[in-house]
Amino acid sequence: MGIKTEQTEQKIHLGLLTKVKFKKEDLLGWLVMLPTLILFTFFVWEPLLESVRLSMYTAKGIRLQEFVGFSNYIRVLRHPDFMAAFRNTFVYILWSLVIGFFVPIIMAVLISETVHLKGFFRVGVYFPNMVPGMATVLMWGYFFTPGATGVLNIILSKFGVGNQLWLTNPKLTIPLIILTMTWKGAGATALIYMAGISGINPDIYEAATIDGAGIWKRIRHITLPSIFSLGKTLLILQIIAVFQILYEPLVMTNGGPNNASISLMQLVYNYAFRDFNYPMGAALSVMICMILVVLSGIYTKITSSKEA
Amino acid sequence: MKSMKKLLGLGISLVMTLSMSVGCMKQAAADTTGNTGAKVETVEAEAPTDKPVNLKLGIWPEPTLTDDIAMHEGYVQTMKNLHPNVTVEPAYYKYATDTFVSMAEAGNLPTVFESWYTEPQKLIKGGFVADITDILEERGWLDAINPSIRELLSKDGRIYGIPRDGYALGLMLNVELFEEAGLVDGNGYPLYPKTWKELAETAKKIKDATGQAGICILAKDNAGGWHFSNIAWAFGATMTKDNGDGTFTANVNSKEAIAAMEYIKSLKWEYDVLTADPTNEDWGTGFTSLGTGSAAMYIAANDAVNQPTQVNGLPLDKLAMCALPAGAGGQYSLSGGTPYMFSKDATKEEINAALDYLVIMGKAPVATDAAIAGMKADAENKIANGVPVIPRFPCWVDEEVLAAEARIIEEYGNVDTKLFEGYFKATTSDKNLRMEEPGSAQDLYAELTKVLQAVITDSKADVPALMEKANQNYQKALDDLQAKK
Repeated sequence: MGIKTEQTEQKIHLGLLTKVKFKKEDLLGWLVMLPTLILFTFFVWEPLLESVRLSMYTAKGIRLQEFVGFSNYIRVLRHPDFMAAFRNTFVYILWSLVIGFFVPIIMAVLISETVHLKGFFRVGVYFPNMVPGMATVLMWGYFFTPGATGVLNIILSKFGVGNQLWLTNPKLTIPLIILTMTWKGAGATALIYMAGISGINPDIYEAATIDGAGIWKRIRHITLPSIFSLGKTLLILQIIAVFQILYEPLVMTNGGPNNASISLMQLVYNYAFRDFNYPMGAALSVMICMILVVLSGIYTKITSSKEA
Repeated sequence: MKSMKKLLGLGISLVMTLSMSVGCMKQAAADTTGNTGAKVETVEAEAPTDKPVNLKLGIWPEPTLTDDIAMHEGYVQTMKNLHPNVTVEPAYYKYATDTFVSMAEAGNLPTVFESWYTEPQKLIKGGFVADITDILEERGWLDAINPSIRELLSKDGRIYGIPRDGYALGLMLNVELFEEAGLVDGNGYPLYPKTWKELAETAKKIKDATGQAGICILAKDNAGGWHFSNIAWAFGATMTKDNGDGTFTANVNSKEAIAAMEYIKSLKWEYDVLTADPTNEDWGTGFTSLGTGSAAMYIAANDAVNQPTQVNGLPLDKLAMCALPAGAGGQYSLSGGTPYMFSKDATKEEINAALDYLVIMGKAPVATDAAIAGMKADAENKIANGVPVIPRFPCWVDEEVLAAEARIIEEYGNVDTKLFEGYFKATTSDKNLRMEEPGSAQDLYAELTKVLQAVITDSKADVPALMEKANQNYQKALDDLQAKK
């Protein structure tokens, strides 16, 4: 490192130090930020801190009564449904990785390699994403109805296959819910991958083709490595999103059968909106938040050390 | 140029901040309604006051029920004549757990609203509803409430609501399916099952003959456990033991309760007479199944006869009701009441105005001319909409009111009473009615519903083990309740 750069660095450093003092010129900046800051304070930070506080009190409705420390947390942990919800939430994540993670990548690669009707396919895969979420789960609910009236059972009966249990088979409940979510969400993720792929320098492909690389080799050695870091980011986003799964199981199975599909967020929903027990809902929310912070931390640690 | 930019920036940020604060401003107009007359505490309940009172009526019918709205407009007219100081503000509110607390905490609850049979204790505990003991006492209504229903609406000796209707569970039948299966006597009345074993066999015959489900069993939410407790009682089970010292012992794993659950399991795996997906059936879909002819029998109460008929289109003469079948342990019907409750923010005058309105509707323990006119209007409306006019379950014990009601049923009755004979005979007989289990009924129902889901979806489900687990979980909930006290 040369002397010149060292000097510039020092200057910048000094500049930063002096910037700490509030200057008249900064006023405008703060004023422009003010509405956002106020909104953030009232709609993000205040409720966040408030729910931490709520989790340590007893309450009537949301009116705090008395401080009880961590007893709400203990009651959440002792609740019969907690272990089922905790385990299920990780099973959801696992299945979402098995079913949901690779589908968008495959779709993106295939569509990128397509020459004809590319636009058609791109709109096609994105289409399910335009269907409102509630409509999606209700529609798939009709597909998965067990007995002779379910759409899938009607179709299967044409091929001589007997009625299936679908969502009411505890072993299939979570994978089928994940399938529904993937059907809806994969297209949007595929678009992000496609954007990533289209950003790859075409010269590389050209050079590879000249060197005699076939389509599989091009995908294996150029496309996939290029979207690897994008994939890592989407992975953690997917885990965080699936961790908070709520309305799909709530509508499709109400957490059943026998808690086979209840998720942590649904437990929060039950505490707050079914039992009106807001402190316990808040306690579990705080716990979910902690778990997500830890997961994100682990992820950042792993990825940053690999990149270094 | 630079100062121009600065000025512009300042202007924009000012506009943004201002527009935001305008959005946050409290609407002054909305505030005037809730607080009128709030300071007047000494006015006599019955004496007409000149103070204007605004009555926010949460029991107003939903917009699609035009006949019901017309009926209520008639009530409002009567209200205007009798209590000119009261302004009635229609504020249709369908109770829902996910909207209720935010409305209550924001002070936006209607003065009076209907709730579900499951909710009163929860609402009282949360402090969302008004204590109306003194008001009822002044009106002399306290002792007129059916004592067992009053219990459901009380806490620590104070009363927080009045019953809209009493109910007792029975078995509703879709007569069309019974006819199709040939299960009718010489006069065309359905041959209804007297025991749970007979029920399974009857259901099987119907399934074989019509392809439709014999019975609709609920297993989606707590209503599943609520219905199941009737079956368990008939098998001889008592699922909560009251220790008499304020503590309770769970008794879900008794051999009688297990036998009852094995029975449900056999309905699915041995007789195969249930609807396609009981784990997706709740109170409302059960009526749809019954009303549209995809199930022949359903456990339901007399206060919901409009559900299969008016809501789901079953012809009036094709609905019958019989008693819940008997088992080795006897024959029981779970009874309770659907409540009217009042906002915690309502003033005494507003609550009194609401009670006056209920008098006009004929839903109060008084038999004035206005009240009788209200009952008649209700009966006429039922006839026009194809809803059976049958006796209510006595939620008031006032002789005069009961006599007036009986006269109206006689005058307006639109169904063959034979179709409901079995039900009323059983529910008026001695020791038939049982209130829901003490302790923590909702926790009990939640645990039972999980077991129901397991036995209905898994032919190899180990019932004793599942009931043992449910027992442990329920005991935990009971202990928690105890610790909180």
